Amino acid sequence: MTRDRGTREHHGGGLRGAIAAEWTKLWTVRTTYVCVIAAFAFMAVFTFYYGSIARINDHPLQPVGNAPVAALVLVQYPLAVLAMTSVTSEYTTGSARTTLQWVPLRHRAHLAKAVVAAVVALVLGFALGVVGMAVAWVVFDGHATFAVAEAVYQVLAMGAYLALVSVIAIGVSFALRAAAGVLAVLFFSLTASPIMLVGLGGEVLSRINEFLPQTAGSGFMLGDAEPHPPLVAFLIVVAWAGITHFAGLAVLRERDA
Amino acid sequence: MITLRGLTKRYGDTTAVDGLTLDVESGRVTGFLGPNGAGKSTTMRMILGLDHPSAGTAHIDGKPYASLRHPVREVGALLDAKALHPARTARNHLLAMARSNGVPTRRVDEVLAAVGLASVARKRAGGFSLGMFQRLGIAGALLGDPRVLIFDEPINGLDLDGVRWVRGLVRSLAAEGRTVLLSSHLMSEMQLTADRLVVIGRGRLLADKPMADMLAESSRAAVRAHLPRPDDLRLLTDRLRARPGVEVAPAGDGAIHVRGATVAEVGDLAHELGVRLHGLHAAGASLEEAYLELTADSVEYGTKEVGA
Ligand SMILES: Nc1ncnc2c1ncn2[C@@H]1O[C@H](COP(=O)(O)OP(=O)(O)O)[C@@H](O)[C@H]1O
Ligand SMILES: [Mg+2]
Repeated sequence: MTRDRGTREHHGGGLRGAIAAEWTKLWTVRTTYVCVIAAFAFMAVFTFYYGSIARINDHPLQPVGNAPVAALVLVQYPLAVLAMTSVTSEYTTGSARTTLQWVPLRHRAHLAKAVVAAVVALVLGFALGVVGMAVAWVVFDGHATFAVAEAVYQVLAMGAYLALVSVIAIGVSFALRAAAGVLAVLFFSLTASPIMLVGLGGEVLSRINEFLPQTAGSGFMLGDAEPHPPLVAFLIVVAWAGITHFAGLAVLRERDA
Repeated sequence: MITLRGLTKRYGDTTAVDGLTLDVESGRVTGFLGPNGAGKSTTMRMILGLDHPSAGTAHIDGKPYASLRHPVREVGALLDAKALHPARTARNHLLAMARSNGVPTRRVDEVLAAVGLASVARKRAGGFSLGMFQRLGIAGALLGDPRVLIFDEPINGLDLDGVRWVRGLVRSLAAEGRTVLLSSHLMSEMQLTADRLVVIGRGRLLADKPMADMLAESSRAAVRAHLPRPDDLRLLTDRLRARPGVEVAPAGDGAIHVRGATVAEVGDLAHELGVRLHGLHAAGASLEEAYLELTADSVEYGTKEVGA
């Protein structure tokens, strides 16, 4: 067999190599495409209904981007699953060990997955936002407003929110390793908790709710000034991503592969 | 070179690997042998930085695996051949691996051809037979053209052709000066493949020596003598038994089976006694016998320890 050393010795590998490998792995399984298609389908259906209801019930005028932002309550799940399976499927098949053989530094292996999932979600988030607005604009039929600056802000914010949700999903997945547990935690923290807290009512509970990732994230994407200014709301979601990222990393470092 | 120093792994109450100290040197095939559950796979996982040792160290050329700049180009390993995503094709699996360590893409097709999987390179790995998984795992180990190779039971599931191929491959890798650590539960296979043997039982090192010594030193290495006259047979048997550490067992049809004495010693004694010999030869122990003997001791030892 031929030796391939010398000039290439110090090229490749590292974080870039790890990211390239994760990117390749992501686009060479069908799950990825299923998740992407599901995200666009959910977005189209949800915004269609959102706009139709606003028109039929003659709701007051609202920015057209509110429809796709509302849709993310649902649309975030295919993307979270996409991120999650990049970790959990490796634990079910035993290939988590293969990955760590290629990239033995735990923080690098974890970061590569988080970066790939976040970039994919960011770009898809932009596209989903645009598609959602387009669908909603047609069905709103004059019951919505369109301002370029506002629309651009909302599209960018949707990408950013979905990227952070993906980072959260990766962190939780490294912490728990099994898909069922990860989905339960994501559903509880993203969807169930806000509903519960609002349902139960009361000042303390609704104050807690304002600091949950999805609640803060919605405020950020809608551009609301209440209860937090958009930047603060964004930083709350960033904090969740940071906490779960490092929790996942701690488990990955501590436990045997 | 792989160096283990006091390498230990405990899982709760079980000690899977117990104070393993050993050097796996380059240029030869080191066979890693032990009964199921002896700790071979656990040792290999620790060498690759997958499991954290409870104590001790495992280094590759003096460094922990995790500190290697391009691990795939320095150490090739096949642990669990089936541990890959079933929906991904063989080629894409290796492609991701190559990109992770900056290995040129053409190497992917080279190794696929080398292991005989070129025709199924674009098929999903999920449909592979165990033998095909093993070949793909070996392709992965070879991908980075590494100096150190670690194979955990690589011939599981291979047909005879595949077994012979792995044997030749492993031997040629060592002949190129690489370090090869190979575990297998097939003792006969080890006898044909390994230059040096490391035997472990219950996580402990039982033997670490060249294959030839392993065979020669086994107390089961015996001498077989054939004497046509019953009187001669009786005389030789009695005189041999009188020597300390020598055991003689009748082997039927005028033959005896002697343990604890060499062919030369038995021949000299026969000459001294003037008995007639029709046959005298070493009944060399097979590796399997030597191995069973070693591990039987370890099992006894382990039982004692539990009782203590
Ligand atoms: N992850 C684990 N958790 C608990 N026990 C384990 C684990 N891995 C291995 N063991 C135990 O460690 C011992 C050695 O196992 P292993 O290294 O697989 O042996 P071998 O490869 O020689 O058959 C066995 O008793 C096994 O049950
Ligand atoms: Mg094993």
